[in-house]
Amino acid sequence: MKLRTLNIRHMRLISLYWSRYAVRGGAGLVYLLVALTFGLSVAHILITPVEQLIIRQKREMGQTDPQIIRKTINDIGQPIAQWVLGLKTMKEILQESATPPGAIMGDSDGTSTTKGQQNDPRFDPWTYFLIEKKPALLSAIFLVLIFGMPFAISFLAFNQISGDAQSYGLRYLLLRTDRTNIYLGRFLGTVIFSTAVMAIIVATITFYLGVRTRIYPAAALAGWAVCGFLALSIQMVPYIAVCSLISASVDSPFLSLVLAKVVIAGVLFLAILGRFAWEPAKYIKYALPWGWQCHLLHPAWLHWGGAIIACLAYTAMFLMLGYYRFVKRDL
Amino acid sequence: MNEGKRPGGLTALAVINFVFFGLGLIGLFGWVALFALVGKIPTDDMTELQRNQIEAFQEMGFSLFVVIFVLSLVSNVLLLLSGIGYLKQKKVLGWMIGNAYAIVSVISSIVSALMFPAELGGGFNIGIIIGLIYPIVTLALLNTTFKEDLTN
Repeated sequence: MKLRTLNIRHMRLISLYWSRYAVRGGAGLVYLLVALTFGLSVAHILITPVEQLIIRQKREMGQTDPQIIRKTINDIGQPIAQWVLGLKTMKEILQESATPPGAIMGDSDGTSTTKGQQNDPRFDPWTYFLIEKKPALLSAIFLVLIFGMPFAISFLAFNQISGDAQSYGLRYLLLRTDRTNIYLGRFLGTVIFSTAVMAIIVATITFYLGVRTRIYPAAALAGWAVCGFLALSIQMVPYIAVCSLISASVDSPFLSLVLAKVVIAGVLFLAILGRFAWEPAKYIKYALPWGWQCHLLHPAWLHWGGAIIACLAYTAMFLMLGYYRFVKRDL
Repeated sequence: MNEGKRPGGLTALAVINFVFFGLGLIGLFGWVALFALVGKIPTDDMTELQRNQIEAFQEMGFSLFVVIFVLSLVSNVLLLLSGIGYLKQKKVLGWMIGNAYAIVSVISSIVSALMFPAELGGGFNIGIIIGLIYPIVTLALLNTTFKEDLTN
């Protein structure tokens, strides 16, 4: 990377213009609607059963029973946490829900555990942290968003370079600034837009949970919301860098969108499906941050610190690859 | 502004309008069918929640049904017209009708929240917020980002 030609003022100008232009160009608008609808729908699906329970309890008993509400939230949050964190497969979760309480399950080492024990969040420290120590509903929502949001990011980030490369529009911009500033400026503009959308989603959900359900103390909710927002914002950065790389490598915006979708989703599905044929194929997911991103919500600093470093490393690698392709290509 | 300079965002807004118009039309048909058949639906095998929803629907007055139906129909027609207006970058058909759609849609959501029983999604809930996303985004964009593009 030619640091001599890196101009912070140019980069700032390009990134701010790019983040504002995102909606006008269409990509930002589609991403805004997809991300908001997805984020709030996930919250809607997870919060509604708890809300209905609260309404029913108030109608039938005149007050709410925190223990039953807590159990309902655990019943919702725990399988989600265990599945997204990769602690259990969907098959195991479905089997457990079908097994009668108290059923004995033999382990391979000769010990045995009851279903009740396995469903106890204390059984696993990570699940226990997310479900018991932190607002469980918010944790479950964050986990689903962390899993789902990478699929949406390509709607925003697919056209950072390819559209202008196709129309030769970049030639006019290159009269005034260097390729480095354009490439990094647009990447930063996309990151700013994505982070702003995450802030809107997390703020809306947290505000709703705080004002409407009143299950959790405001301070705990706000604190965990900030952590979740940071985790979601950080995990999006490497995926935006992947889109930058693809966008800098092809001339067609449509092809760039398709490739971004195929690469981001394909890596995960290859890992999931590939391991049925060959167990080590599950490590394919580490080609992208799929294997690291959930650790952003881990209680141990070594895990979340490592996940942040991994996300930054992926970002740097994809950005460098994209940059070298961008500076060498004919525009 | 001529049609050749139409920003991609405005085209996207028009396409989304047409998609929502189609979905809204299906929703209207479903709404009418449900209202016509609600008394004939067997509730024996239903869960308590589903039975409560059917009962709440049966108890809903005809006048409320008409109000919701008319508001939905009007906002659907406005969606279609404003979508055409966005593509042609028209001031009246695009900017004005688009704003009218957004306002009618917000009113429709508020009426649903206030008048619907809780079993049918009434009251302030996150579903109402989801329903408000598109009208509010439309209202914001038509009066800021795309205001200068709808002048024909």
